[in-house]
Amino acid sequence: MALNVVVCLKQIPNPDLQFQIAADGKDIRRETLNYKLNGADEYALEEAVRIKEKQGGRVVALTLGPKRTEPMLREALAKGADEAVRVTYDEPAAFDVGKNARILAAAVRTLPHDLVLTGVQSDDYVNSATGGLLAGILGLPHASVVTRVAFAGAGLEVACELEGGLQRVVSLPMPALLTIQFGANTPRYAPLPAIMKAARQPIKELGPSALGLTSWDSVALPYAFEVTGLAPPAAKGRAEMITGSVDEQAKRLAQLLKEKGFVRR
Amino acid sequence: MAKDVLIVAEHLEGQVTPSTLELISAGRGLADSMDEQARVLVLGHRMEQLAQHLAGYTVEVLLADHPALAEYAGDAYVQAVRGIVESMRPRVVLVSHTSQGYDLAPALAGAMDLPLVTNGLAVAFEGDRLRVLRRILNEKVQVEVEVRSERPIVVTLRPGSVKPQGTGRGMQSVTPVPVTIDPSAVRVTFVRMERPQVQDIDLSAADIIVSAGRGIQKKENLVLIEQFAKAIGGVVGASRPLTDMDWLPKTRQVGQSGKTVRPKLYVACGISGAMQHVAGMKDASLIVAINTDPTAPIFEVAHVGFVADVLKLLPATLKELKA
Repeated sequence: MALNVVVCLKQIPNPDLQFQIAADGKDIRRETLNYKLNGADEYALEEAVRIKEKQGGRVVALTLGPKRTEPMLREALAKGADEAVRVTYDEPAAFDVGKNARILAAAVRTLPHDLVLTGVQSDDYVNSATGGLLAGILGLPHASVVTRVAFAGAGLEVACELEGGLQRVVSLPMPALLTIQFGANTPRYAPLPAIMKAARQPIKELGPSALGLTSWDSVALPYAFEVTGLAPPAAKGRAEMITGSVDEQAKRLAQLLKEKGFVRR
Repeated sequence: MAKDVLIVAEHLEGQVTPSTLELISAGRGLADSMDEQARVLVLGHRMEQLAQHLAGYTVEVLLADHPALAEYAGDAYVQAVRGIVESMRPRVVLVSHTSQGYDLAPALAGAMDLPLVTNGLAVAFEGDRLRVLRRILNEKVQVEVEVRSERPIVVTLRPGSVKPQGTGRGMQSVTPVPVTIDPSAVRVTFVRMERPQVQDIDLSAADIIVSAGRGIQKKENLVLIEQFAKAIGGVVGASRPLTDMDWLPKTRQVGQSGKTVRPKLYVACGISGAMQHVAGMKDASLIVAINTDPTAPIFEVAHVGFVADVLKLLPATLKELKA
Protein backbone atom coordinates (compact mmCIF):
# COMPACT_ATOMS: atom_id res chain seq x y z
CA MET A 1 0.00 0.00 0.00
CA ALA A 2 1.56 3.25 -1.13
CA LEU A 3 1.54 5.78 1.68
CA ASN A 4 1.54 9.55 1.86
CA VAL A 5 3.88 10.44 4.69
CA VAL A 6 4.20 13.98 6.04
CA VAL A 7 7.21 14.54 8.27
CA CYS A 8 7.31 17.75 10.31
CA LEU A 9 10.80 19.17 10.75
CA LYS A 10 12.06 22.01 12.92
CA GLN A 11 15.19 24.04 12.52
CA ILE A 12 16.78 24.90 15.87
CA PRO A 13 19.85 26.78 17.07
CA ASN A 14 22.63 24.32 17.80
CA PRO A 15 21.96 23.61 21.51
CA ASP A 16 25.66 23.03 22.22
CA LEU A 17 26.23 26.76 21.79
CA GLN A 18 26.28 29.35 24.51
CA PHE A 19 23.36 31.75 24.48
CA GLN A 20 22.91 35.38 25.29
CA ILE A 21 19.67 37.09 26.16
CA ALA A 22 18.44 39.85 23.81
CA ALA A 23 18.28 43.39 25.17
CA ASP A 24 14.49 43.32 25.60
CA GLY A 25 14.72 40.05 27.54
CA LYS A 26 12.11 38.38 25.30
CA ASP A 27 14.34 36.20 23.16
CA ILE A 28 17.90 35.01 22.80
CA ARG A 29 20.29 36.97 20.60
CA ARG A 30 20.00 35.35 17.21
CA GLU A 31 22.48 37.26 15.03
CA THR A 32 25.36 34.85 15.47
CA LEU A 33 23.57 31.52 15.90
CA ASN A 34 24.04 28.61 13.59
CA TYR A 35 20.99 26.49 12.95
CA LYS A 36 20.50 22.78 12.36
CA LEU A 37 17.80 20.17 11.93
CA ASN A 38 16.40 19.20 15.33
CA GLY A 39 17.91 15.93 16.63
CA ALA A 40 14.75 13.85 17.03
CA ASP A 41 13.47 15.09 13.66
CA GLU A 42 16.46 13.47 11.95
CA TYR A 43 15.09 10.14 13.15
CA ALA A 44 11.54 11.08 12.11
CA LEU A 45 12.80 11.93 8.62
CA GLU A 46 14.75 8.69 8.35
CA GLU A 47 11.72 6.70 9.52
CA ALA A 48 9.54 8.44 6.91
CA VAL A 49 11.99 7.62 4.12
CA ARG A 50 12.32 3.99 5.24
CA ILE A 51 8.53 3.62 5.31
CA LYS A 52 8.36 4.94 1.76
CA GLU A 53 11.11 2.59 0.61
CA LYS A 54 9.28 -0.37 2.12
CA GLN A 55 5.65 0.48 1.39
CA GLY A 56 5.94 2.78 -1.59
CA GLY A 57 4.50 6.27 -1.59
CA ARG A 58 5.70 9.80 -1.04
CA VAL A 59 7.38 11.77 1.72
CA VAL A 60 6.64 15.45 2.17
CA ALA A 61 8.98 17.38 4.49
CA LEU A 62 7.05 20.18 6.16
CA THR A 63 8.40 23.02 8.25
CA LEU A 64 7.24 26.24 9.82
CA GLY A 65 9.75 29.05 9.83
CA PRO A 66 11.69 31.78 8.09
CA LYS A 67 13.68 31.51 4.88
CA ARG A 68 16.74 30.28 6.80
CA THR A 69 15.00 26.88 7.07
CA GLU A 70 15.52 26.23 3.34
CA PRO A 71 18.91 24.49 3.65
CA MET A 72 17.31 22.14 6.19
CA LEU A 73 14.50 21.32 3.75
CA ARG A 74 17.07 20.68 0.99
CA GLU A 75 18.89 18.35 3.36
CA ALA A 76 15.57 16.48 3.78
CA LEU A 77 15.12 16.29 -0.01
CA ALA A 78 18.68 14.99 -0.39
CA LYS A 79 17.98 12.30 2.22
CA GLY A 80 14.91 11.03 0.41
CA ALA A 81 11.95 13.38 0.86
CA ASP A 82 10.05 13.88 -2.40
CA GLU A 83 8.72 17.34 -1.72
CA ALA A 84 9.53 20.17 0.66
CA VAL A 85 6.97 22.62 2.00
CA ARG A 86 7.69 25.70 4.07
CA VAL A 87 4.92 27.46 5.96
CA THR A 88 6.12 31.05 5.83
CA TYR A 89 5.36 31.93 9.48
CA ASP A 90 8.61 33.74 10.11
CA GLU A 91 8.40 34.79 13.76
CA PRO A 92 12.04 34.08 14.74
CA ALA A 93 11.35 32.97 18.33
CA ALA A 94 7.89 31.32 17.97
CA PHE A 95 7.69 30.34 21.64
CA ASP A 96 4.00 29.47 21.63
CA VAL A 97 3.82 25.82 20.68
CA GLY A 98 0.00 26.02 20.61
CA LYS A 99 0.04 28.65 17.87
CA ASN A 100 2.76 26.82 15.92
CA ALA A 101 0.80 23.56 16.06
CA ARG A 102 -2.47 25.20 14.97
CA ILE A 103 -0.75 26.69 11.90
CA LEU A 104 1.05 23.42 11.18
CA ALA A 105 -2.23 21.49 11.49
CA ALA A 106 -3.82 23.78 8.91
CA ALA A 107 -0.87 23.04 6.60
CA VAL A 108 -1.12 19.27 7.12
CA ARG A 109 -4.81 19.47 6.12
CA THR A 110 -3.75 20.73 2.69
CA LEU A 111 -1.52 17.68 2.14
CA PRO A 112 -2.60 14.07 1.60
CA HIS A 113 -1.50 12.17 4.71
CA ASP A 114 -1.75 8.52 5.76
CA LEU A 115 0.95 9.06 8.30
CA VAL A 116 2.23 12.20 10.02
CA LEU A 117 5.59 11.96 11.78
CA THR A 118 7.29 14.41 14.13
CA GLY A 119 10.32 14.15 16.39
CA VAL A 120 9.51 13.46 20.04
CA GLN A 121 10.71 16.91 21.10
CA SER A 122 12.66 19.86 19.83
CA ASP A 123 15.96 20.33 21.62
CA ASP A 124 15.56 24.11 21.80
CA TYR A 125 12.22 24.52 23.59
CA VAL A 126 11.74 20.92 24.81
CA ASN A 127 7.94 21.07 24.80
CA SER A 128 7.26 17.54 23.50
CA ALA A 129 3.92 18.96 22.44
CA THR A 130 3.72 19.60 18.69
CA GLY A 131 2.97 15.99 17.71
CA GLY A 132 0.28 15.47 20.36
CA LEU A 133 -1.34 18.81 19.59
CA LEU A 134 -1.43 18.00 15.88
CA ALA A 135 -3.06 14.64 16.62
CA GLY A 136 -5.66 16.30 18.85
CA ILE A 137 -6.42 19.08 16.38
CA LEU A 138 -6.54 16.80 13.34
CA GLY A 139 -8.42 14.03 15.16
CA LEU A 140 -5.77 11.44 14.35
CA PRO A 141 -4.96 8.45 16.54
CA HIS A 142 -1.43 8.83 17.81
CA ALA A 143 1.44 7.22 19.67
CA SER A 144 4.39 8.99 21.28
CA VAL A 145 8.08 8.28 21.88
CA VAL A 146 8.03 5.62 19.17
CA THR A 147 11.15 3.48 18.80
CA ARG A 148 9.86 0.88 16.33
CA VAL A 149 7.28 0.96 13.57
CA ALA A 150 5.80 -2.17 12.01
CA PHE A 151 2.92 -2.57 9.58
CA ALA A 152 0.22 -5.02 10.64
CA GLY A 153 -2.76 -5.54 8.36
CA ALA A 154 -4.16 -2.14 7.41
CA GLY A 155 -2.66 -0.48 10.46
CA LEU A 156 0.46 -0.05 12.52
CA GLU A 157 2.02 -1.74 15.49
CA VAL A 158 4.47 0.53 17.26
CA ALA A 159 6.65 0.41 20.38
CA CYS A 160 6.51 3.45 22.68
CA GLU A 161 9.31 4.07 25.13
CA LEU A 162 8.39 4.60 28.77
CA GLU A 163 10.57 5.56 31.71
CA GLY A 164 13.12 3.05 32.95
CA GLY A 165 13.46 1.15 29.66
CA LEU A 166 9.93 -0.31 29.45
CA GLN A 167 8.25 -0.31 26.04
CA ARG A 168 4.52 -0.25 25.49
CA VAL A 169 3.44 -1.81 22.20
CA VAL A 170 0.19 -0.45 20.77
CA SER A 171 -1.67 -0.89 17.52
CA LEU A 172 -3.47 1.86 15.65
CA PRO A 173 -5.13 2.35 12.27
CA MET A 174 -4.09 4.90 9.65
CA PRO A 175 -4.20 7.81 9.12
CA ALA A 176 -2.16 8.24 12.29
CA LEU A 177 0.43 10.46 13.91
CA LEU A 178 3.63 9.18 15.51
CA THR A 179 6.29 11.09 17.45
CA ILE A 180 9.63 9.41 16.81
CA GLN A 181 12.23 8.91 19.53
CA PHE A 182 15.98 9.42 19.27
CA GLY A 183 17.73 6.22 18.25
CA ALA A 184 14.69 4.72 16.48
CA ASN A 185 16.90 4.07 13.43
CA THR A 186 20.25 5.12 12.01
CA PRO A 187 19.82 8.27 9.93
CA ARG A 188 21.57 8.10 6.55
CA TYR A 189 23.98 10.53 5.01
CA ALA A 190 22.85 12.21 1.83
CA PRO A 191 24.76 11.03 -1.25
CA LEU A 192 26.45 13.82 -3.21
CA PRO A 193 24.33 13.51 -6.40
CA ALA A 194 21.20 13.78 -4.25
CA ILE A 195 22.59 16.92 -2.58
CA MET A 196 23.24 18.41 -6.03
CA LYS A 197 19.76 17.51 -7.19
CA ALA A 198 18.11 18.87 -4.03
CA ALA A 199 19.84 22.21 -4.52
CA ARG A 200 17.77 22.69 -7.68
CA GLN A 201 14.45 21.39 -6.41
CA PRO A 202 11.70 23.92 -5.75
CA ILE A 203 10.44 24.50 -2.21
CA LYS A 204 6.72 25.02 -1.98
CA GLU A 205 5.64 27.92 0.22
CA LEU A 206 2.38 28.16 2.10
CA GLY A 207 1.41 31.63 3.28
CA PRO A 208 -1.52 32.60 5.49
CA SER A 209 -4.01 32.83 2.60
CA ALA A 210 -3.22 29.26 1.50
CA LEU A 211 -4.30 28.18 4.99
CA GLY A 212 -7.47 30.27 5.04
CA LEU A 213 -6.01 33.03 7.21
CA THR A 214 -5.84 36.77 6.58
CA SER A 215 -2.50 36.99 8.42
CA TRP A 216 -0.39 35.03 10.89
CA ASP A 217 -1.86 37.21 13.62
CA SER A 218 -5.36 36.01 12.84
CA VAL A 219 -4.83 32.42 14.05
CA ALA A 220 -7.73 31.74 16.42
CA LEU A 221 -6.31 31.02 19.87
CA PRO A 222 -8.45 30.33 22.94
CA TYR A 223 -5.92 32.12 25.16
CA ALA A 224 -3.43 34.97 25.42
CA PHE A 225 0.21 33.91 25.58
CA GLU A 226 3.15 36.04 26.55
CA VAL A 227 6.82 35.48 27.21
CA THR A 228 7.51 37.68 30.21
CA GLY A 229 11.24 37.20 30.27
CA LEU A 230 14.32 35.12 29.62
CA ALA A 231 17.17 34.86 32.09
CA PRO A 232 20.22 32.76 32.76
CA PRO A 233 19.04 29.92 35.02
CA ALA A 234 19.19 30.64 38.73
CA ALA A 235 22.29 28.75 39.84
CA LYS A 236 21.08 25.94 42.05
CA GLY A 237 24.43 25.39 43.65
CA ARG A 238 27.29 25.36 41.25
CA ALA A 239 30.13 22.91 41.25
CA GLU A 240 33.40 23.90 42.83
CA MET A 241 35.31 24.65 39.63
CA ILE A 242 38.91 23.48 39.34
CA THR A 243 40.85 25.75 37.03
CA GLY A 244 44.40 25.72 35.70
CA SER A 245 46.28 23.85 33.03
CA VAL A 246 45.33 20.27 32.18
CA ASP A 247 48.27 19.00 34.27
CA GLU A 248 47.22 21.09 37.25
CA GLN A 249 43.63 19.94 36.87
CA ALA A 250 44.78 16.32 36.61
CA LYS A 251 46.76 16.65 39.85
CA ARG A 252 43.70 18.00 41.63
CA LEU A 253 41.43 15.27 40.27
CA ALA A 254 43.87 12.53 41.21
CA GLN A 255 44.26 14.05 44.66
CA LEU A 256 40.50 14.24 45.12
CA LEU A 257 40.03 10.61 44.09
CA LYS A 258 42.76 9.50 46.49
CA GLU A 259 41.45 11.60 49.38
CA LYS A 260 37.97 10.22 49.00
CA GLY A 261 39.34 6.67 48.89
CA PHE A 262 38.35 5.83 45.33
CA VAL A 263 41.79 4.68 44.26
CA ARG A 264 42.92 1.21 45.18
CA ARG A 265 46.61 1.01 45.89
CA MET B 1 -15.88 28.74 35.86
CA ALA B 2 -14.74 26.71 38.81
CA LYS B 3 -11.25 27.39 40.02
CA ASP B 4 -10.38 23.83 40.85
CA VAL B 5 -7.14 22.15 39.94
CA LEU B 6 -7.48 18.73 38.35
CA ILE B 7 -4.43 16.53 38.77
CA VAL B 8 -4.18 13.56 36.44
CA ALA B 9 -2.53 10.70 38.32
CA GLU B 10 -0.21 8.39 36.44
CA HIS B 11 0.33 4.76 37.19
CA LEU B 12 2.40 2.11 35.54
CA GLU B 13 1.87 -1.60 36.11
CA GLY B 14 -0.34 -0.98 39.13
CA GLN B 15 2.02 1.47 40.84
CA VAL B 16 1.59 5.21 41.27
CA THR B 17 4.51 6.91 39.52
CA PRO B 18 6.72 9.11 41.74
CA SER B 19 5.99 12.18 39.62
CA THR B 20 2.30 11.89 40.52
CA LEU B 21 3.13 12.67 44.16
CA GLU B 22 5.08 15.74 43.02
CA LEU B 23 2.12 16.77 40.90
CA ILE B 24 -0.21 16.50 43.91
CA SER B 25 2.12 18.72 45.87
CA ALA B 26 2.24 21.33 43.08
CA GLY B 27 -1.51 21.10 42.48
CA ARG B 28 -2.35 21.60 46.15
CA GLY B 29 -0.09 24.65 46.28
CA LEU B 30 -1.82 26.11 43.26
CA ALA B 31 -5.32 25.38 44.60
CA ASP B 32 -4.48 26.75 48.07
CA SER B 33 -3.33 30.03 46.50
CA MET B 34 -6.81 30.40 44.98
CA ASP B 35 -8.71 29.13 48.03
CA GLU B 36 -9.95 26.28 45.93
CA GLN B 37 -9.66 22.57 45.81
CA ALA B 38 -7.23 20.23 44.14
CA ARG B 39 -8.66 16.92 43.00
CA VAL B 40 -6.76 13.91 41.77
CA LEU B 41 -8.15 11.94 38.87
CA VAL B 42 -7.31 8.25 38.71
CA LEU B 43 -8.12 6.60 35.39
CA GLY B 44 -8.02 2.86 35.02
CA HIS B 45 -9.85 -0.35 35.69
CA ARG B 46 -10.13 -1.86 39.16
CA MET B 47 -7.90 0.80 40.66
CA GLU B 48 -9.80 1.28 43.96
CA GLN B 49 -6.80 0.37 46.09
CA LEU B 50 -4.49 2.78 44.31
CA ALA B 51 -7.15 5.51 44.59
CA GLN B 52 -7.49 4.88 48.34
CA HIS B 53 -3.73 5.14 48.66
CA LEU B 54 -3.70 8.52 46.92
CA ALA B 55 -6.55 9.76 49.12
CA GLY B 56 -4.01 9.50 51.96
CA TYR B 57 -2.29 12.52 50.46
CA THR B 58 -5.23 14.64 51.72
CA VAL B 59 -6.68 15.26 48.33
CA GLU B 60 -10.08 14.24 47.10
CA VAL B 61 -9.70 11.47 44.57
CA LEU B 62 -11.95 11.01 41.57
CA LEU B 63 -11.97 7.49 40.26
CA ALA B 64 -12.80 6.95 36.60
CA ASP B 65 -13.23 3.24 36.11
CA HIS B 66 -13.72 1.65 32.70
CA PRO B 67 -12.40 -1.54 31.08
CA ALA B 68 -11.11 0.54 28.14
CA LEU B 69 -8.83 2.36 30.59
CA ALA B 70 -7.20 -0.80 31.99
CA GLU B 71 -4.01 -0.04 30.07
CA TYR B 72 -2.98 3.42 28.97
CA ALA B 73 -3.79 4.19 25.34
CA GLY B 74 -3.90 7.71 23.98
CA ASP B 75 -7.38 8.21 22.64
CA ALA B 76 -9.39 6.35 25.30
CA TYR B 77 -7.65 8.38 27.98
CA VAL B 78 -8.17 11.63 26.07
CA GLN B 79 -11.87 10.79 25.74
CA ALA B 80 -12.26 10.00 29.42
CA VAL B 81 -10.38 13.07 30.66
CA ARG B 82 -12.24 15.24 28.18
CA GLY B 83 -15.62 14.20 29.61
CA ILE B 84 -14.46 14.97 33.14
CA VAL B 85 -12.90 18.31 32.21
CA GLU B 86 -16.10 19.30 30.41
CA SER B 87 -18.30 18.59 33.41
CA MET B 88 -15.92 19.87 36.07
CA ARG B 89 -14.48 22.89 34.21
CA PRO B 90 -11.28 23.14 36.28
CA ARG B 91 -9.05 26.15 35.95
CA VAL B 92 -5.95 24.03 35.47
CA VAL B 93 -5.33 20.43 34.42
CA LEU B 94 -1.97 19.18 35.69
CA VAL B 95 -0.19 16.26 34.02
CA SER B 96 3.31 14.85 34.56
CA HIS B 97 5.82 15.55 31.80
CA THR B 98 6.52 11.87 31.24
CA SER B 99 6.21 9.63 28.18
CA GLN B 100 2.60 9.02 29.11
CA GLY B 101 2.00 12.65 30.07
CA TYR B 102 3.24 14.09 26.83
CA ASP B 103 1.18 11.58 24.94
CA LEU B 104 -1.96 12.64 26.81
CA ALA B 105 -1.70 16.37 27.59
CA PRO B 106 -1.07 17.86 24.13
CA ALA B 107 -3.63 15.57 22.48
CA LEU B 108 -6.20 16.61 25.09
CA ALA B 109 -5.39 20.29 24.55
CA GLY B 110 -5.55 19.85 20.76
CA ALA B 111 -8.83 17.93 20.81
CA MET B 112 -10.55 20.36 23.21
CA ASP B 113 -8.94 23.54 21.85
CA LEU B 114 -7.36 24.36 25.22
CA PRO B 115 -4.24 26.38 26.07
CA LEU B 116 -1.17 24.28 26.85
CA VAL B 117 2.19 24.85 28.54
CA THR B 118 4.49 21.87 28.90
CA ASN B 119 7.61 20.85 30.80
CA GLY B 120 7.20 23.47 33.52
CA LEU B 121 9.38 23.66 36.62
CA ALA B 122 7.06 25.85 38.67
CA VAL B 123 3.56 27.13 38.21
CA ALA B 124 1.64 29.92 39.96
CA PHE B 125 -1.30 32.24 39.43
CA GLU B 126 -0.82 35.95 39.37
CA GLY B 127 -4.25 37.47 39.14
CA ASP B 128 -5.93 35.80 36.19
CA ARG B 129 -2.64 34.89 34.57
CA LEU B 130 -0.96 31.53 34.98
CA ARG B 131 2.81 31.91 35.13
CA VAL B 132 4.98 28.95 34.24
CA LEU B 133 8.72 28.78 34.62
CA ARG B 134 10.54 26.69 32.03
CA ARG B 135 14.10 25.81 31.04
CA ILE B 136 15.06 25.80 27.39
CA LEU B 137 18.09 25.46 25.09
CA ASN B 138 19.76 22.59 26.87
CA GLU B 139 18.95 24.05 30.31
CA LYS B 140 20.99 27.15 29.55
CA VAL B 141 18.14 29.64 29.50
CA GLN B 142 15.23 30.10 31.85
CA VAL B 143 12.00 31.47 30.45
CA GLU B 144 8.83 32.58 32.12
CA VAL B 145 5.59 32.49 30.17
CA GLU B 146 2.13 33.74 31.04
CA VAL B 147 -1.15 32.32 29.83
CA ARG B 148 -4.56 33.87 30.30
CA SER B 149 -7.70 32.05 29.26
CA GLU B 150 -11.35 31.47 30.03
CA ARG B 151 -10.73 27.81 29.37
CA PRO B 152 -8.99 25.18 31.46
CA ILE B 153 -5.22 25.46 30.98
CA VAL B 154 -3.35 22.19 30.49
CA VAL B 155 0.08 22.17 32.12
CA THR B 156 2.70 19.44 32.29
CA LEU B 157 5.32 19.57 35.04
CA ARG B 158 8.78 18.13 34.74
CA PRO B 159 9.44 15.21 37.11
CA GLY B 160 11.81 16.13 39.91
CA SER B 161 10.96 19.85 39.92
CA VAL B 162 8.61 19.85 42.92
CA LYS B 163 9.10 18.17 46.31
CA PRO B 164 6.45 15.59 47.08
CA GLN B 165 4.72 15.96 50.44
CA GLY B 166 4.30 13.05 52.81
CA THR B 167 0.93 11.44 53.36
CA GLY B 168 -1.38 13.57 55.43
CA ARG B 169 -3.24 12.51 58.54
CA GLY B 170 -6.78 12.90 57.34
CA MET B 171 -7.94 10.45 54.71
CA GLN B 172 -9.99 12.07 52.00
CA SER B 173 -12.76 10.42 50.10
CA VAL B 174 -12.66 8.55 46.82
CA THR B 175 -15.53 9.54 44.56
CA PRO B 176 -16.38 7.48 41.49
CA VAL B 177 -17.01 9.61 38.42
CA PRO B 178 -18.95 8.44 35.40
CA VAL B 179 -16.92 7.64 32.29
CA THR B 180 -18.44 7.48 28.86
CA ILE B 181 -16.27 6.03 26.17
CA ASP B 182 -17.44 5.58 22.62
CA PRO B 183 -15.76 2.29 21.67
CA SER B 184 -15.84 3.17 17.96
CA ALA B 185 -13.63 6.18 18.73
CA VAL B 186 -11.04 4.09 20.55
CA ARG B 187 -8.49 3.44 17.84
CA VAL B 188 -5.28 2.96 19.78
CA THR B 189 -5.18 -0.42 21.48
CA PHE B 190 -2.70 -1.85 23.94
CA VAL B 191 -0.86 -4.94 22.68
CA ARG B 192 1.80 -5.78 25.26
CA MET B 193 4.52 -4.48 27.52
CA GLU B 194 8.16 -5.20 26.68
CA ARG B 195 10.90 -5.28 29.26
CA PRO B 196 14.59 -4.68 28.60
CA GLN B 197 16.56 -7.91 28.52
CA VAL B 198 19.19 -7.73 31.18
CA GLN B 199 22.37 -9.60 30.37
CA ASP B 200 24.84 -7.05 31.54
CA ILE B 201 26.12 -5.57 34.78
CA ASP B 202 23.50 -3.83 36.88
CA LEU B 203 24.53 -0.20 36.76
CA SER B 204 22.23 0.74 39.63
CA ALA B 205 24.22 -1.55 41.96
CA ALA B 206 27.60 0.06 41.18
CA ASP B 207 29.39 2.28 43.72
CA ILE B 208 31.49 4.07 41.15
CA ILE B 209 30.28 5.00 37.68
CA VAL B 210 32.29 6.73 34.99
CA SER B 211 29.87 7.88 32.31
CA ALA B 212 30.68 9.03 28.82
CA GLY B 213 28.77 11.48 26.65
CA ARG B 214 29.11 12.98 23.20
CA GLY B 215 32.21 14.85 24.37
CA ILE B 216 34.29 11.72 23.88
CA GLN B 217 33.76 12.27 20.14
CA LYS B 218 34.63 8.80 18.84
CA LYS B 219 33.70 5.27 19.81
CA GLU B 220 37.40 4.38 19.97
CA ASN B 221 37.77 6.79 22.89
CA LEU B 222 35.61 4.54 25.06
CA VAL B 223 38.81 2.62 25.75
CA LEU B 224 40.04 5.63 27.70
CA ILE B 225 36.82 5.77 29.73
CA GLU B 226 37.15 2.04 30.47
CA GLN B 227 40.79 2.46 31.56
CA PHE B 228 39.83 5.30 33.85
CA ALA B 229 36.88 3.40 35.32
CA LYS B 230 39.14 0.42 35.97
CA ALA B 231 41.73 2.58 37.70
CA ILE B 232 39.17 3.77 40.24
CA GLY B 233 37.26 0.49 40.53
CA GLY B 234 34.21 1.71 38.64
CA VAL B 235 32.01 0.67 35.75
CA VAL B 236 31.19 2.51 32.54
CA GLY B 237 27.87 4.22 32.00
CA ALA B 238 26.70 6.50 29.21
CA SER B 239 24.35 9.28 28.26
CA ARG B 240 21.61 8.61 25.77
CA PRO B 241 23.31 9.66 22.51
CA LEU B 242 25.98 6.99 22.99
CA THR B 243 23.55 4.12 23.48
CA ASP B 244 21.46 5.45 20.58
CA MET B 245 24.55 5.16 18.39
CA ASP B 246 25.14 1.64 19.77
CA TRP B 247 28.54 2.57 21.18
CA LEU B 248 27.39 0.94 24.40
CA PRO B 249 24.44 -1.36 25.16
CA LYS B 250 21.15 0.19 26.31
CA THR B 251 21.75 -1.31 29.77
CA ARG B 252 24.49 1.28 30.33
CA GLN B 253 22.27 4.29 29.76
CA VAL B 254 21.80 6.57 32.75
CA GLY B 255 18.76 8.83 32.73
CA GLN B 256 15.02 9.09 32.61
CA SER B 257 14.62 6.47 29.91
CA GLY B 258 17.47 4.36 31.25
CA LYS B 259 18.80 3.60 34.73
CA THR B 260 18.44 5.73 37.83
CA VAL B 261 21.68 5.45 39.81
CA ARG B 262 22.88 6.63 43.24
CA PRO B 263 26.56 5.67 43.33
CA LYS B 264 29.15 7.02 45.77
CA LEU B 265 31.02 8.56 42.86
CA TYR B 266 29.74 9.60 39.45
CA VAL B 267 32.19 10.98 36.91
CA ALA B 268 30.43 12.64 33.97
CA CYS B 269 32.83 12.76 31.01
CA GLY B 270 31.79 15.03 28.17
CA ILE B 271 28.14 14.98 29.22
CA SER B 272 26.27 18.28 28.86
CA GLY B 273 23.67 17.46 31.49
CA ALA B 274 20.33 17.47 29.68
CA MET B 275 17.45 16.98 32.08
CA GLN B 276 16.81 13.49 30.81
CA HIS B 277 20.31 12.46 31.93
CA VAL B 278 20.40 14.44 35.18
CA ALA B 279 17.14 12.83 36.32
CA GLY B 280 19.01 9.53 36.51
CA MET B 281 22.15 10.58 38.42
CA LYS B 282 21.53 13.74 40.43
CA ASP B 283 21.42 11.84 43.74
CA ALA B 284 24.94 10.44 43.50
CA SER B 285 26.97 11.26 46.64
CA LEU B 286 29.84 12.85 44.74
CA ILE B 287 29.50 14.08 41.18
CA VAL B 288 32.58 15.10 39.20
CA ALA B 289 31.91 16.69 35.82
CA ILE B 290 34.34 17.23 32.96
CA ASN B 291 33.17 19.30 30.01
CA THR B 292 34.67 21.83 27.61
CA ASP B 293 31.60 24.11 27.83
CA PRO B 294 31.66 26.19 31.02
CA THR B 295 27.91 26.85 30.66
CA ALA B 296 27.01 23.15 30.43
CA PRO B 297 24.16 22.41 32.87
CA ILE B 298 26.04 19.39 34.25
CA PHE B 299 28.06 21.86 36.37
CA GLU B 300 24.87 22.75 38.19
CA VAL B 301 24.39 19.30 39.62
CA ALA B 302 28.08 18.43 39.93
CA HIS B 303 29.99 18.98 43.17
CA VAL B 304 33.34 19.36 41.46
CA GLY B 305 33.74 20.64 37.92
CA PHE B 306 36.55 20.72 35.37
CA VAL B 307 36.26 22.84 32.24
CA ALA B 308 38.52 20.62 30.18
CA ASP B 309 38.70 18.24 27.26
CA VAL B 310 38.05 14.84 28.77
CA LEU B 311 40.35 13.26 26.17
CA LYS B 312 43.24 15.25 27.64
CA LEU B 313 42.28 15.37 31.31
CA LEU B 314 41.70 11.63 31.78
CA PRO B 315 45.09 10.48 30.39
CA ALA B 316 46.84 13.13 32.51
CA THR B 317 44.91 12.02 35.59
CA LEU B 318 45.71 8.35 34.93
CA LYS B 319 49.38 9.29 34.85
CA GLU B 320 48.98 11.12 38.17
CA LEU B 321 47.23 8.15 39.74
CA LYS B 322 50.08 5.83 38.78
CA ALA B 323 52.71 8.25 40.07
